[in-house]
Amino acid sequence: MKRQSSLVSESVLIEKLVQRDQKAFHWLYDQYSPALYGVVLRIVRDEEHAQDLVQDIFVKIWKNLDAYDSGKGRLFTWMLNVARNTAIDAIRAQKSQPSAANAIRTDEDNVHVVDRQHNTQQPNPEHIGIQEVVGQLRPDRRQLIDLVYFGGYTHEEAADELNLPLGTVKTRIRAALQELKQLFKS
Amino acid sequence: MNLEEYIASGILDSYAIGAVSDQEVREVNCLASIYPEIRQELDELMLSTENYALLHSIEPPAGLKDRIMRQLTFEDADNTIVRPLPIDRDMPADATRPYTYKTTWMVAAAAALAVLFFSYFLITQLQTNQKTLASLRESNDSMQLELKQMRTSQGQTDQVLAMLRQPGARTLELRGNEKAPQGDMLVFWNPSTQQVAVEVKSLPTLPADKQYQLWSLVDGKPVDAGVFDSGSAIQKMNRSVGRADAFAVTVEKRGGSPTPSMATLLAMSPVA
Repeated sequence: MKRQSSLVSESVLIEKLVQRDQKAFHWLYDQYSPALYGVVLRIVRDEEHAQDLVQDIFVKIWKNLDAYDSGKGRLFTWMLNVARNTAIDAIRAQKSQPSAANAIRTDEDNVHVVDRQHNTQQPNPEHIGIQEVVGQLRPDRRQLIDLVYFGGYTHEEAADELNLPLGTVKTRIRAALQELKQLFKS
Repeated sequence: MNLEEYIASGILDSYAIGAVSDQEVREVNCLASIYPEIRQELDELMLSTENYALLHSIEPPAGLKDRIMRQLTFEDADNTIVRPLPIDRDMPADATRPYTYKTTWMVAAAAALAVLFFSYFLITQLQTNQKTLASLRESNDSMQLELKQMRTSQGQTDQVLAMLRQPGARTLELRGNEKAPQGDMLVFWNPSTQQVAVEVKSLPTLPADKQYQLWSLVDGKPVDAGVFDSGSAIQKMNRSVGRADAFAVTVEKRGGSPTPSMATLLAMSPVA
């Protein structure tokens, strides 16, 4: 993948990070903050809240670098996991409070608004445009991916939400991921 | 396991977008570390998900980076402290493990060896004791036998002595003729009790099927006076002799003969 070319020296970066090297942090932030901020914003749907969370996430990553095991996956995978889990925990906590009973909105218009607003700030022009990919993905599949990945829904919760049998949800996730795989391969 | 079936089940896809339980996460991680096919499929799906996530990238506001950096502590770049990697920290603990392992085996081996030596010692002791016991038994048996013989001979001697103590007891010496030049024996006879005993001083040893026979001569006729062996003990004859002009000894077949074989006459002595 194109992104990987910039990660040639990931092991060197990790070594510097473990040494708490300031330059390494600059590099880490510049490289990954748009991705993490984008995901967090997509999950919490509030810019200020997303910024607070991204701050928490980078502090968490900085403090827990020792826990990162390069044998189990790439640094970005780990960071993305930390970001997604932190953000989903935050909206779950919000949901459990009656005052902020905002359901997760999965309507596509909203996503497109956010996408359009920030499209010009994409850090990497080599990235395939979201419209391009999303346009090729079947709407029902994309809806399910967003519900699970950005909403933190379990199979059962997604089945309830979409009023589908559990088996269909599982099959559709498989189909969606396989389609996604093909889209990025081409 | 059927890898194709497992991959087709969709669990890897669900894992990639974070829709599986902690239990399933562990299961997939485990299987991915075992099967390269699962690892490869999982990596591709994770990459696809990450790429999908990257599509949503948005540059955060400029102030955020400084805000975060104020919360972090950095090492002075000019004074880089080389921190030990986690693997180094674990080393001492790991290093002691084979040592402990070795010690355990050494102790076990030493204990086994000690038991072995002790067993050998016990067996040797047992064998020595058994040998000693056997030889003691043997000497005990021979002493018992000797004691029995001595008792028997004592009994006979007592009988002969009792016989000799009686009034009228006589002692005659019989000397060997030319057939037994070294022959010499004593005959004890008490005419009143009619008892006879012999004591061989020296007579040739006879084959097992032969015995000496004592004869009393009464009016020129030999009368059987019993058989005896060439042993040195005093032997009481089991025949009664009331009258005798002389005593004679012949060699006869074991058990005695009704008439003496004159050819084997060894000794004769008249009663004085």
